[in-house]
Amino acid sequence: MTLARIYRALLLAGFQQAAQYRIQSLLWMLFAIIRPVIFLAAWIAVAVAQGGDIGGFKVGDFAAYYVCMTFVSQLTMAWNSHEFEWEVNQGRLSAKLLRPLHPLHYSVVENLVFKLNTLPVLGVVLILVSISFGAIYRTQVWHIIAFIPSVILAAALLFMFNWVIATLAFWATRMRTANTLFQRTLFIFAGQIAPIGLMPGWLQAVSYALPFWYMMGAPTEILRGGVTQEQVAQILIGQSVWLAITFVAFQWIWRRGVRAYSAVGA
Amino acid sequence: MRRYLRIIGTFIAAEAKNEMAYRANLALGVVEMVLVIGTSLGAVLVLFTHTTSLNGWTLAQMIALTGVYYLIQGGVALIFNPSFEKLMEHVRMGTLDFTLLKPANAQVLLSTRHFALIRVADLVMGFGVVIVGLYMLSASVTAWSLVSFALTLACGVMLVYALLLSLVTLSFWFVRIDNIMAIFWAFTDAGRFPIDLYPGWLRFTLATVVPIGIAVTVPAEAISGRMSYETFIGMLVGTVLAVAAASWFWRIGLRNYTGASA
Repeated sequence: MTLARIYRALLLAGFQQAAQYRIQSLLWMLFAIIRPVIFLAAWIAVAVAQGGDIGGFKVGDFAAYYVCMTFVSQLTMAWNSHEFEWEVNQGRLSAKLLRPLHPLHYSVVENLVFKLNTLPVLGVVLILVSISFGAIYRTQVWHIIAFIPSVILAAALLFMFNWVIATLAFWATRMRTANTLFQRTLFIFAGQIAPIGLMPGWLQAVSYALPFWYMMGAPTEILRGGVTQEQVAQILIGQSVWLAITFVAFQWIWRRGVRAYSAVGA
Repeated sequence: MRRYLRIIGTFIAAEAKNEMAYRANLALGVVEMVLVIGTSLGAVLVLFTHTTSLNGWTLAQMIALTGVYYLIQGGVALIFNPSFEKLMEHVRMGTLDFTLLKPANAQVLLSTRHFALIRVADLVMGFGVVIVGLYMLSASVTAWSLVSFALTLACGVMLVYALLLSLVTLSFWFVRIDNIMAIFWAFTDAGRFPIDLYPGWLRFTLATVVPIGIAVTVPAEAISGRMSYETFIGMLVGTVLAVAAASWFWRIGLRNYTGASA
């Protein structure tokens, strides 16, 4: 009960803070939209070269895929690993550790505020992209119902995974390399460069086994209506399993990390 | 001219001494670049498992283009990016006065003051990728394509320089221009594919306002022997005009700068 009250207060403060940076959040939108549009354009060129259809994907399917991908990545993105290094290096984490609330909660709130704030504008932009590229959605009602838990699981999974990486900052002082590695892994395996069905066979198998596709690609496929009910069940199970593993890993690594942490200079 | 080369040489030497203090940092920077370039090439390869041509570009040409993309990005990140970042800080803090008092051209001094030497690695790897592309293209490489490649590549870097110079000039009026710079960085990602792939609005943006598309695509066309003479002339003339315009704008901005306490 008290946690709910704390969250309400933090969210309120978060929204008030975010009101100062409206232009900034519009700019981040540009980042969110450019990469999917780039790959959409490339796949359209491929589809056109192949007579309009590759592996069941027509131009409209690609458009739907990348519109959904943009929407999902906006909803699931997490960025703590970028900030956490700074907090550790500056010793700023010390103050947060003294508070009765786990630092995780502050970053959950920050995450929620950003997403809720940017969603309306992104929605409009995505509708425009959908229309201009002639997106075809194969979505049915049950797809949308399944999408909700799937995108929440994906966001939680990406968030926790990002925290595991962030926690490495307790030992390493330069986290940029770890972040780059994570970003590029997502780039390949999460479905940004291609829908999983169009990946070469071995890469597909690896993607299904690793957690990264479940962070973005899986909810994207559900939202655009590209999966059967059986596949949806598999996706939800895969997401839950990976979330559980990541959560346990986080708790383990966090406990050891806090012990290793001695605020730089303290 | 020789005097300026000597000044720039001094800047580079100073930067090198500074960087040498952080060698592990350098090594990790190279690792990152390998990851980034490797995965970008991976993306191209995935696309080409389904086709043999992307809007007329073959795999070999696309690989060369990817190399060019990192050459242009690396060139900008090596010299202009670190220098301009410091320049914006100088404007904000009012410390630009010290540079302006020096008896040399302020535009040259400020554009080349700082070097992110780690980015040399980008250049080396970018060249490596271009060479791989060339090797696959072997049949069609001529002396002309090599010369026009070198020239258009230099033009590409200078085009992006002209844009960045105009953007930092805005800081004389607005002081904080991080947001405007962010727009530029958002668009650079689009340089990874040939500009002719994109829908009209994006193609237009990448050819004019944020010329990263032209800067990458034209040299890649040159090396793969698919550039027309009109494009070549247009690129040279366009670059000269863009740099002249940016440098004119810079002088206007400089006149507007009032210093910290003035």
